Amino acid sequence: MSAPAPPAPAAPPPPKKDTLTIVFDGKPIEVPPGINLIEAAKLAGIEIPHFCFHPRLSVVGQCRMCLVEIEGIPKIQAACTTPIKDGLAVKTTTQKVRESRAANMEFLLINHPLDCPICDQAGECKLQDNAFGYGEQRSRYDERKRQYAGYDRTAIGPHVVADMTRCIQCTRCIRFCQEIAGTGELTFLDRGGRTLVWTHDGKPLANDWSACAADVCPVGALTTKEFRFRRRVWDLKKTPSVCPGCNIGCNISIEDRDSVVYRFLPRLNPAVNDYWLCDYGRFLSESLNAREISKATVREGSDVRDAIVPAAVERIASEIRSTIETDGPSAIFFLGSAHLSNEENFLLRKIADHIGCGNRDVVVDRSRVRRMKSKTEWIEGDHAGANYAGARDMGLSPGPGGHGLTDVLEGRWIPQIVVVADASFAAAADDAEKVGRLRGARFLAVAARTANSLTRAADVVLPAASLAQKEGSFTNVQGRVQWFQRAFLPPPPARAHWELLLLLGVALGWGDRNWTPAAVRTQIREEVEGYDEVTEQELAGGGLMKKGLFVSTGAV
Amino acid sequence: MTSRRYAVLPAGRPAEFPPDARARIERILSRYPTKQAALLPVLWVAQETWGWISREAAEEVARILELSPAHVSGVLTFYTMYNLEPVGRHLLQFCTSISCHLAGAGGLLEHCRRRLGIDLGQTTADGRFTMVEVECIAGCDRAPSMMIDDAYHEPMDPSKLDALLESLP
Repeated sequence: MSAPAPPAPAAPPPPKKDTLTIVFDGKPIEVPPGINLIEAAKLAGIEIPHFCFHPRLSVVGQCRMCLVEIEGIPKIQAACTTPIKDGLAVKTTTQKVRESRAANMEFLLINHPLDCPICDQAGECKLQDNAFGYGEQRSRYDERKRQYAGYDRTAIGPHVVADMTRCIQCTRCIRFCQEIAGTGELTFLDRGGRTLVWTHDGKPLANDWSACAADVCPVGALTTKEFRFRRRVWDLKKTPSVCPGCNIGCNISIEDRDSVVYRFLPRLNPAVNDYWLCDYGRFLSESLNAREISKATVREGSDVRDAIVPAAVERIASEIRSTIETDGPSAIFFLGSAHLSNEENFLLRKIADHIGCGNRDVVVDRSRVRRMKSKTEWIEGDHAGANYAGARDMGLSPGPGGHGLTDVLEGRWIPQIVVVADASFAAAADDAEKVGRLRGARFLAVAARTANSLTRAADVVLPAASLAQKEGSFTNVQGRVQWFQRAFLPPPPARAHWELLLLLGVALGWGDRNWTPAAVRTQIREEVEGYDEVTEQELAGGGLMKKGLFVSTGAV
Repeated sequence: MTSRRYAVLPAGRPAEFPPDARARIERILSRYPTKQAALLPVLWVAQETWGWISREAAEEVARILELSPAHVSGVLTFYTMYNLEPVGRHLLQFCTSISCHLAGAGGLLEHCRRRLGIDLGQTTADGRFTMVEVECIAGCDRAPSMMIDDAYHEPMDPSKLDALLESLP
């Protein structure tokens, strides 16, 4: 017997392609490898309905909604768990698929209450959408529905309220806590028809991002205590903005109606906050509605009198002019803020430059370290203001021979005039000793929206806008410049800080009242190092790293 | 709807495995690729150590296996054979699924109820017996079937049950 022939050399593997071809309903499309069928279909403009799949969470195939037909496989398949391969032919509109989806919806709706009229999720509910899009119009079920007595309308943590009767057991919230937050508070308890999502022994769902569990919930089983029953979601207008909570600068939507902010929602930016938002930042939304400084006031001796804004600004300008004459510009101190935009801090610095004053600074307001998970990494923020980096970039540090804030606060230097461009900085503004040092000046002017000991001590107070009431850009801890848009106008006579600063600049003989934040950005591009590539388009598209810092993170 | 919930140890008493149980857990861990995979057998060690699994014991298992307590809770409440509250020295498990039911499990259960003066899920005042109902225990061929602790007793009838209850310590 002859020796067995050596095995034929294996055919060389086909050259690795950068993209795969998937055929959806007869239409081929090139997709990158490593995504699943739901994402691939999305690229093809085809919606595969689903509940449990989330782009950042593990794939579990829990909900059975994403059923599709695949050529060569006799049974219908869950699109989320099917690995894609070159040449896969997928059918999403056949009768078999339609019937499977309708049957799945019927099962889900057997126990789901039809309480949409009193459910906060209505309007942004995947179950509602998919029932409308893929379900039957009528239910054949008329027996009693399951209810989770004791687990409805019940707080499951400091921010999240559970209505377990509405749960469809998709496990998104469980996976969020396990895989993103890393805290694993949630689990399925019990089994079968009694399965419910809850915590170990009733412990609270309390991690720094707990409200994201309500975000990922496709139904109304988890909602936030703060937003519950406040507004129907379709009544709300969404405005792209940036979270004011810290210098990570998470992308948010400000949701308002009739100039009242009702909530912040995370806005997808894979490079910063991805799909997430921390509880601290999210629930700052209500603070945007505070309005304690609603008009300009000017102190005359022991009296505090109301004034119109231009008159109050002119009062500041005349004090500055007379001080320049008597003591020179170096007796004046300009204090910017990490809560103000790049444009506003830039204007403040330019005004100081214009009168030849090098005494300028920004409050260093450190907060506890806050953490946020981008698509690829954890980002840490440690400043209470969103724009500390930007304020420094705009030149708000003492110029050559100039004095800074610590000189004032430690009593080494007493300026004649202090101009505080934003009095809202948290810790320092209510510290009696620090306020006393600033008040050591002969004349103290501030712009503010909320009252504190600094505004009470000031000679001139200007009513300023909230974050929702103005536009501008912040530079975050990564060096990413991000645009926030105006949701609504400030209530007159309050104005955006940049408008107030322009009024002051014009009163001092610099600038143009017709400038907009965009016009100021044009000057920033010309004058501030690293900002020359930050175009308006790129700002609108999720922010751009300052020159030399750009890191591509890939699309979602 | 009711859900299985933990009983807890008397105030603040921690659940700490005795050395021999710790050694068993180490041996179990050496047989599994991940700590999570050893959860079920480690929970059995806990149940054999204390007779039931308290909240504190569940948390101790979570700590040893580096799992979230919630994950351990999920597993414990999924399976019915982990006792989440103290049981008597002997666990009387009556099968009432279809074969045993047809063969007279109902009467047997009623007899036991009257004799011990307790209902399903309850423990006698002397701490000897706990009565529970179980789903099919695969003793259909010799129904009615029941388990006392880990032993099958079948076919069972009231007089055999009386004799057994007399003989058990």
